[in-house]
Parts: sequence; C-alpha cells; structure tokens
Amino acid sequence: MSSKTKDVKPEPVAYSEAALRNNAVVVEYCRTSMAALSGSTAGILGLTGLNGFAFYVLAVVSLWVMFMIKAGPNWHKYYVSRQSLLTNGFFGALFTYILFWTFIYGMVHVY
Amino acid sequence: MAELLLDPKIRLWVFLPIVIITFLVGIVRHYVSIILSSQKKIEIIQMQDSQVMIRARLLRENGKYLPRQSFAMRRHWFNNEDTGYFKIQKRVATSQNPMTDPGMMTDMLKGNVTNVLPMIVIGGWINWMFSGFLTTKVPFPLTLRFKPMLQRGVELAYLDASWVSSASWYFLNVFGLRTIYTLVLGENNAADQSKVMQEQMSGAAMAMPPDPKAAFKAEWEALEITEHRWALATVETDILVNEDKEE
Repeated sequence: MSSKTKDVKPEPVAYSEAALRNNAVVVEYCRTSMAALSGSTAGILGLTGLNGFAFYVLAVVSLWVMFMIKAGPNWHKYYVSRQSLLTNGFFGALFTYILFWTFIYGMVHVY
Repeated sequence: MAELLLDPKIRLWVFLPIVIITFLVGIVRHYVSIILSSQKKIEIIQMQDSQVMIRARLLRENGKYLPRQSFAMRRHWFNNEDTGYFKIQKRVATSQNPMTDPGMMTDMLKGNVTNVLPMIVIGGWINWMFSGFLTTKVPFPLTLRFKPMLQRGVELAYLDASWVSSASWYFLNVFGLRTIYTLVLGENNAADQSKVMQEQMSGAAMAMPPDPKAAFKAEWEALEITEHRWALATVETDILVNEDKEE
C-alpha cells in the first residue's frame, strides 16, 4: 500500500501510478481468494439457485466492508474511488465463484 | 428436480482428476514456456526511437513547467524543418516477412509447441478417456439453451439442463481456473489456455512492430500544435495565499 503525494494547493491531487497499480493487484488477489473461499463455502453449505448468488453478493459486499475497515477513514489515500472498488471485477470473480461452487457442491451433495 | 444417482466412483475417477489435470497442466505449461522462452533482442535503433517518442511525449505533457524559451528550444530540437530530429530521421517502414526471419520462426514454433500442442493433446485425451460421463450438476437452474454447452458428448433430450458432462466440465475448468493461476503463479503467467484460444479465434497471433515513420509523423504533429502555457506564472501568489491559509 502506498500513499499519494499531496500538493500544498487543495485542487491538484497526484497519484503514484505504480502504487495504484500495485494496490489494484493486491485487491485483485483478495477478490480471487474471496471468490474461491466463498464458492467453496456455498458448495459445502449446499446452497442452490438464487441463494448461492445472494451469498456471492454478500461475500463481495463484506470484502468491500473489510477493505474499508482496513483502509480506515483515509481510504482516499489508497483508492481513487470507493464505488469502483466495490464493482470492479465483479463478473470475473463470479466465474471463479461459480466454478468452485459447482465443484464443491458436486463433490459433497450430488453423489 | 429429476434426481439421478451417480456412481461415487465417477467422482473419484472422473470428476476430481479432470480438475487436477487441468490445473497441473496449466502449471507445467507455465514453466515449460519459461524454459523455452528466449530473450527478445532489441535493435538499438528501435530503442532509440522509443526513447525519443517518450521524450517528446513528456515534453508535450509537462512542458508547461518549463520556461517558454526552454520549451521552444526542446521543441526546436525535435521539430525544426531542417535539423529537427523528427525531420532528419528517415526510418524505413519495417514490414518484414516473418517467414524470412529465422528467429521469428523459432519463436512461432515454440509458441505452437507450448500452446497449441498441449491443448490438442490434453483436450483430445480428456475427451477420449473421460467421454460420456455425467460428472456433476450445477447448483442453479439453467435454460435449455445451455444444454449444448454443458452437455457436450451426452445427447439426451430429456435430461435437465443443469447436469454437466465430463467434456464440458473440462472446458469449464479451462476457463474458470484463469484467476487461480494469477493467484498461484503471479501476473502474466503462461498457464492460461483460454487466452490462446481467443488469440486463435481473432487470428491476430502475431503483432506487427509499429511503423516508426508514422509514429514520428504523428508525434511531430502533436508537438507542433502544442501551445506553451507557462504553469508557474502565478506561483508566488499561489504559495503566499496558501501560507496565509495555514497560519
């Protein structure tokens, strides 16, 4: 994690490009892990249909809340926008989630 | 929900092995491509071109922090009609035939060996070895439209669409494990098969080197129309105002 360099003047806010990219990579790692773990959880619990997708949304939101708690009140030091932190990579991680969900569900409940 | 009873041995000998095989093949592909990859040789003239382009872009973007004379001097160096760098450098458009370049040929061959060959071999082997099994059931209802996607190799008209056949399970894994590879192997790994498929579909497996002549011309134009705005003209008052605020 890194911080932005702030000017004396209030308007211009300069972000460090490399640091932002690093943050994005770390967030992406967290998101993938979250998708895999929550998918496995949903599979073990045997959630089906809309319950599973609701669980995914719950997992995404709770991950976002965890990011916010971790970043604290100075979240704008680390991310440009909170909304994009919530919505970025939603569908990419959904695919991973579905794969793990199907996999564990098949292992535990189908046979 | 019409329940089918699947043999638990299918789970042990078909369902699980497909996941493990797909994953490990990705890992092996990654390391094999690392072994086979060769450092691309960069020609000094190409390096020079790209550095000049970067310098010109920096001048365009940050020139406002330079005094007017310094800016004009730098632009003169790039853009002068007689002596400017962009004017006197005559670059030949590089559109060489890849077939005549042995280095390029070897690269293509290596790419095929690591990408296409395992895909055909493993995909074919999975299809042959594990054909005709129903492996699992997706835990959400799907419409009939998904049947050809999820039940490849098992053509049963009255089967519920959420059952997944072994061949389709393999493909689901190929596409779904992509993010896991990023997690395990880091960014820019070579384990991803779906990327190769996309490349083959689009037919753009090889990117042509950009033409330096056109790039020079574009940069020349951009630099020519750049207007110098001295950003620090009011710097004293700005700083003083802020000082006042802080006190």
